Amino acid sequence: MTNILEVNDIQTYIGQFHILDGVSLSVREGSITVLLGRNGAGKTTTLKSILGLITPRSGSVVFKGEGIRGRRAFEIAALGIGYVPEHRAIFRDLSVMENLKIAERNKGDFERRADMIFDLFPDLKRLSRLPGNHLSGGQQQMLAVARALVPENQLLLIDEPSQGLAPLLIEQMMEAIHRLRASTTVLLVEQNFIMASQLGEEYYIIDDGKIANEGLMKDLVNNKELIQRYLGASTAIPERLAGSEGR
Amino acid sequence: MRKVRPIAIVMVILIALFIVGWTTMGQKPFIRTTLSGLTLSALFFMVAAGLTLIFGLMDVLNFAHGAVFMIGAYAGWQFYTNPTFIFGLLPLVFAVLAGLSFGSPMRPRLQRLSIPENIYSPLRSLLYLAAAALVVGSLLGYDILSLAETAMVATMTASDPLMEATPQEALGGFWFRPLLLLLAGVLLSIAGVLPRTPNTDDDGTTSWRGWLLSAGLLAAAIIASLARESGAIAVLQMNADLRFVLSLLTGFLVGAGLGAAIEITLIRPLYVRPQFLVLLTLGLAFVLQEITQVLWDPLAYQMSRPPLFSQPGKADSILAWFSGRNVTIDILGVTFPSYRLFILVLGVVMLIAMAILMSKTRLGMIIRAGVQDREMVEALGINVRTVFTLVFALGVGLAALGGIGAAPFIPVEPTMGNRFQLQAFITVVLGGMGSYGGAAIGALLLGFARAFGDYLALRFSLSPAISEASTVIIMAIVLLVRPAGLFGRKE
Repeated sequence: MTNILEVNDIQTYIGQFHILDGVSLSVREGSITVLLGRNGAGKTTTLKSILGLITPRSGSVVFKGEGIRGRRAFEIAALGIGYVPEHRAIFRDLSVMENLKIAERNKGDFERRADMIFDLFPDLKRLSRLPGNHLSGGQQQMLAVARALVPENQLLLIDEPSQGLAPLLIEQMMEAIHRLRASTTVLLVEQNFIMASQLGEEYYIIDDGKIANEGLMKDLVNNKELIQRYLGASTAIPERLAGSEGR
Repeated sequence: MRKVRPIAIVMVILIALFIVGWTTMGQKPFIRTTLSGLTLSALFFMVAAGLTLIFGLMDVLNFAHGAVFMIGAYAGWQFYTNPTFIFGLLPLVFAVLAGLSFGSPMRPRLQRLSIPENIYSPLRSLLYLAAAALVVGSLLGYDILSLAETAMVATMTASDPLMEATPQEALGGFWFRPLLLLLAGVLLSIAGVLPRTPNTDDDGTTSWRGWLLSAGLLAAAIIASLARESGAIAVLQMNADLRFVLSLLTGFLVGAGLGAAIEITLIRPLYVRPQFLVLLTLGLAFVLQEITQVLWDPLAYQMSRPPLFSQPGKADSILAWFSGRNVTIDILGVTFPSYRLFILVLGVVMLIAMAILMSKTRLGMIIRAGVQDREMVEALGINVRTVFTLVFALGVGLAALGGIGAAPFIPVEPTMGNRFQLQAFITVVLGGMGSYGGAAIGALLLGFARAFGDYLALRFSLSPAISEASTVIIMAIVLLVRPAGLFGRKE
């Protein structure tokens, strides 16, 4: 299978701070690739660099065979990349329905995919008239993912979907992302190692702005030493989840 | 819930004031004062609406808002009285726009150019200089002042504007002006997209829409060059009421165009240094005022009212006005100028239009979302920069529309916008920065405060400064109780 996304040696600065120092990664079409790493390692900046929310100073970003570095974020997104940011960024003053409709790129996008979206997240249908700021954290997270599904996106960039969610909701979110795989490619940033390891097929570990390690998730799971070195405390696994069935 | 309480408080205050007013003032003075309060409110709202829209989305406090109110009044007055000036400049405007528009379709090709680092900056400066020289050359010897004079004379002498229409420069002497401006526009657009390093990574393709736009603007420039005189005469010969409606539209379009130009050229580079935006817009206000003074002298003009509001006599009711088109209307025993009622209607229409825009349209949805999180809106594939330009153009256009709306009953002069600007700022602060509903309520409060303040000052022989001070006092009280304004959100 081909790579839908290839990032080559990007150097990204935020102000004077050199955040990414030569990150390269590729995402295979139809896969779930996980980007792991400590807080501040550069995971979110990598996603933002791909989407053009921050423009890398050098290197290249190739999406579906097309060089996109240097283009503006809205142009890149319109090529078919959906973004679920770290803190959900639900529009407070818009209703749930409007939060979904605003993501339309062509008229009727939402109607075409409404069944699929409400099938994944049945709660949203019930809440569709509520303003965004009336939703709980978990509902907001679902809405953020649902919003990225409204237009025809070939790649989803999902940043820490499990953050701040109760264990039960984490499982629901995992289930949803797992089902997404059938129709789209996912590049997932995740600190929750349980979630990451059960969803991901390939992984990249980013450390201090560089890719420190990469490979197949099934190999990483058994490499306690690697996990400990790069992911440290963030992999503390709650007992209850650790015992649950793998997928 | 959050929004209901302030409305309830304002309503209780207003009802209390009404009861006091009705019982102590007597019916007629009360109705007259209420009506002028409503008219003032409508005017304040027209200026404040655009201000709050711009501030809400872009965090830009536009200190030039009063000046564009004035520009709108001048543009509409020119169009209504004698559009010679507007038709004389139109081809030049279209020519520059056509030139500038070539930058977008040429961009992909230009972006691939590789320019040696050491000549990059000099080259760009050279392009800018050449463009400036072309602009100067194109305007050399163009008698703009006498074009501007036509409406001035028509207003001062109340003579037939057709007689006063200054003939435009013959095409034989004029044609090079739009041509040079076109070239200047092309040079500017090239300078704008020249890449510091060749961007071979971006292989975006040329869009035919870009070429189509350029061709359209070019055609408009040519047509406008040919129709300079005949266009003006055609406008003067049309039905005066229709001409008035068109002058409202002209005021709005001139304002919106000016707004778009200001946003793209001056404001956009300064979003990263917002503190300079205050200085910029303040300076811009002075520049606009000075330009109007140069063109039309520091005088005050009285624009005549359209026939719809100027037939002699008094209509017995609003219904009777529709057949009589009288200059005044009898409302519950009070004689009131019919044009002021039109202002009131215009204000209400604007409020409704804004409510529909914000709650029912996609643009409104994007604005509401962008107020909160621009980055996320952009990440959804929406060009936020264009939305900013649109909103700034719309906000400035609304102020200009207010200006031409007000022109038939307040003197048209370079400083006419200043007092409205101050009131509009207070209105916006009262309503809670960025809330147009709040701006409407704020405008009502201020309008009534002014009208009733004036009445009280007259009745008890107090200083008229009382009513001027009342607005600031209201602002102080509201801010003490609700620091974020009536409908503001605590950040």
